[in-house]
Amino acid sequence: MVTALRSRPRVIRLFVVVLALMFAATAFAFSTVDSASAQSLSSAKSSAPTVDTTPTPAPGSTAPTTAAQSIGIWIRIAADKSNVPNAKVTVTGPSGFSTTVVSGADGRATVPIEKTGTYKVLLDKSTIPAGLSVLGDNPRDVQVDAENQGVPAYYLLGDGAAGATPAPGKTSSPSTSSGNTPTFAEVVFPRIATGLIYGLLIALASIGVSLIYGTTGLNNFAHGELVTFGGLVGYVVSGVMHMPSWLGILSALVFGGIFGYLQDLGLWKPLRKRGIGLIPLMIVSIGLSLALRYIFNFIFGPDLLVTPSDSSSFLTLGPVHLRFWDVVSPIICIVVLLLVAFAMLRTRIGKATRAVADNRSLAAATGINVERVIRIVWVAGGALAGLSGALIGYYQPVSWETGASILLLIFAAVTLGGFGSAFGALVGSLIIGLLIDLSTSYGFIPSNLKLVAALAVMIVILLFRPQGILGRKDRIG
Amino acid sequence: MDFNFIPLAFGEIVSPLTIGYALAALGLAVHFGFTGLLNFGQAGFMAVGGYAFAITTVKFGWPLGWALVATVVGAVLFALLLGIPTLRLRADYLSIVTIAAAEIVRYTVKTPSISQYTGGSDGINGASRDFYAMNPLPDIQYGFGVLTYNNNQLWSILVGWTVVIIAAVLVWQLMRSPWGRVIKGIREDEDAVRSLGKNVTWYKMQSLILGGVLGGLGTVLIIIPTSLQPDNYGTQTTFFLYTIVLLGGATTVLGPIIGSIIFWVVLQLSDGILTLLVNNHLLPLSSVQQGPIRFIIVGIALMLLVIFRPQGIFGKKREAHFSG
Repeated sequence: MVTALRSRPRVIRLFVVVLALMFAATAFAFSTVDSASAQSLSSAKSSAPTVDTTPTPAPGSTAPTTAAQSIGIWIRIAADKSNVPNAKVTVTGPSGFSTTVVSGADGRATVPIEKTGTYKVLLDKSTIPAGLSVLGDNPRDVQVDAENQGVPAYYLLGDGAAGATPAPGKTSSPSTSSGNTPTFAEVVFPRIATGLIYGLLIALASIGVSLIYGTTGLNNFAHGELVTFGGLVGYVVSGVMHMPSWLGILSALVFGGIFGYLQDLGLWKPLRKRGIGLIPLMIVSIGLSLALRYIFNFIFGPDLLVTPSDSSSFLTLGPVHLRFWDVVSPIICIVVLLLVAFAMLRTRIGKATRAVADNRSLAAATGINVERVIRIVWVAGGALAGLSGALIGYYQPVSWETGASILLLIFAAVTLGGFGSAFGALVGSLIIGLLIDLSTSYGFIPSNLKLVAALAVMIVILLFRPQGILGRKDRIG
Repeated sequence: MDFNFIPLAFGEIVSPLTIGYALAALGLAVHFGFTGLLNFGQAGFMAVGGYAFAITTVKFGWPLGWALVATVVGAVLFALLLGIPTLRLRADYLSIVTIAAAEIVRYTVKTPSISQYTGGSDGINGASRDFYAMNPLPDIQYGFGVLTYNNNQLWSILVGWTVVIIAAVLVWQLMRSPWGRVIKGIREDEDAVRSLGKNVTWYKMQSLILGGVLGGLGTVLIIIPTSLQPDNYGTQTTFFLYTIVLLGGATTVLGPIIGSIIFWVVLQLSDGILTLLVNNHLLPLSSVQQGPIRFIIVGIALMLLVIFRPQGIFGKKREAHFSG
């Protein structure tokens, strides 16, 4: 690695340093806001708490129950995020279900639920500390589907007017005016917002897949693990070591790049030298994916890991409530994507990359160092995937299999946009992101099938336009 | 120290998983080894076949014969669904679509709204009804030492291995036939076969169907003595099958079967050794950390096999370059 850096100092340094500098600048501007809350554990563990209708089992809050379902109750004071013990909560539901629990020393209580359905959770105001009122709805309706353990019913207590701050968790879904049917805008706009955010996060990773495919012909099935790696680096730096979040994101970017570089140096470059075909290489990548995934599991365990972040509403645009990171992540994504676009179109190395993707032999014949281009693509792909992973850590909890589940979305996005086209990857990602969130509105399809919608669209696209939206026909052969 | 795990590991030779994976791996060898199709969704074929069998048997009460027909029809339909959009495209499109389709199947059967048929995340129990009713063996214990089986378990083992052997002979004969020569020709040089006037896409489709049906029947052999769990048919199952196929030799008939035996025996042995070391505090691991190790071993073994011995134990080197 040292010799390689010495022999090609300019390009690698330029690429990493430019990305890093720009990044530090953007992230630093925001770091003061959220580092204050870095210690507090996010109560909103499901993805995009402002709109998500899928109750995701919350890590840590789920006491093991024998029932198939359970509701996890967590009561905290909004100001200092301290837990409120001895608060009485009554849960009523279908077929006369009624039970009362008292929160423990950690402010939590778990209610086992035998039957699925909508349950009403009521926090008894007389049992909470004096002078505080419940933020958000009380009582609130909680939807329990089959197998949902620890469906969140989280309460924040504050001294402001009730409802001034939307309480986090699923229960603060856009229909804050409980009782009324949400309007079309209230249902669709938040989904468009989260869909675009998620699409941008996927786009960062997709561009790496597309570039690696374009320059080497390899479909990297281990790319999801680069995303997981970034998410875990971000978690370790910000969540475990309690460093500010800009540092976590920056480390994910840098270490992701290093990881990509080492993968190319240690595995893919020697295999290219051996002249191993593309199909065996793809099988190597699934082996690598399996090994890496379970190495992450071995080190970090099977649980969801929550990077601490501020989950209160940061920006409200009509019916759309956005958390701090829902605003910052897309800005970072857009800046980085613009930078990548600039690098691809205007710099020498970007032109060389496109030349290699276009025709490798011709590029080599014109004096382009193909191996160097591929190495830079691996570094950039790894860095972008790492960045994507770290930002995903602020969007939803990461775990050892985050990347494995995102990988198929990445492939769907890249197929949709057109293999080997970086801009196609961006367009495809945004479409996939929107599709995932919009397909579940109004119960078109059950929310656990939202990934299925994206994958099904990919198959349909292959039927009618196999080269994708921006791809070229000669690649599909 | 308890060394019972050694005979227990060799008991894997007759375990339902070994038998079912042998058949599914044979199907994957038809796809990948003989035809050169990069099917990363064999787990999907297995799930479709298994669910077709279990739902028709348990939920609809169909007799064994009709449930098997449903299994075959399910696998054939799944093959058509995947093959029509992708077989005319390059190899990697098939790989992406199949891996996605397998996950679609797994997510779909876990949907709560159809769990009255699919059993949701719990899967389906009791698909063995008719099969055990046909059991002619007297109800006593068989075997020796730590390896004992009741009459139903022995019946599943005997029928299972018989099915695998019949399938192996069938595939072996097919691959010696003119049809098999076309199939192998497609693997070596698709354009050459096409220039001889053969309908390459249709031959690939036939291969996809044959291998898919073998995968579906493999699941039936697994779920009869055990039960059907949707999460047993995730992507890691396909990766296990690739390891099995490449271990034995992807371009051979015997390879996937011997590969399955070696794979599961070695996996059980390594698990047993690990448990022994952990229980005696020779390795500083928790029991939670012990679980992922077998997957790490398989992943690394898969990479090493492809790189250093792509022909596996029984294959010929010249057949195993998989140019795609």
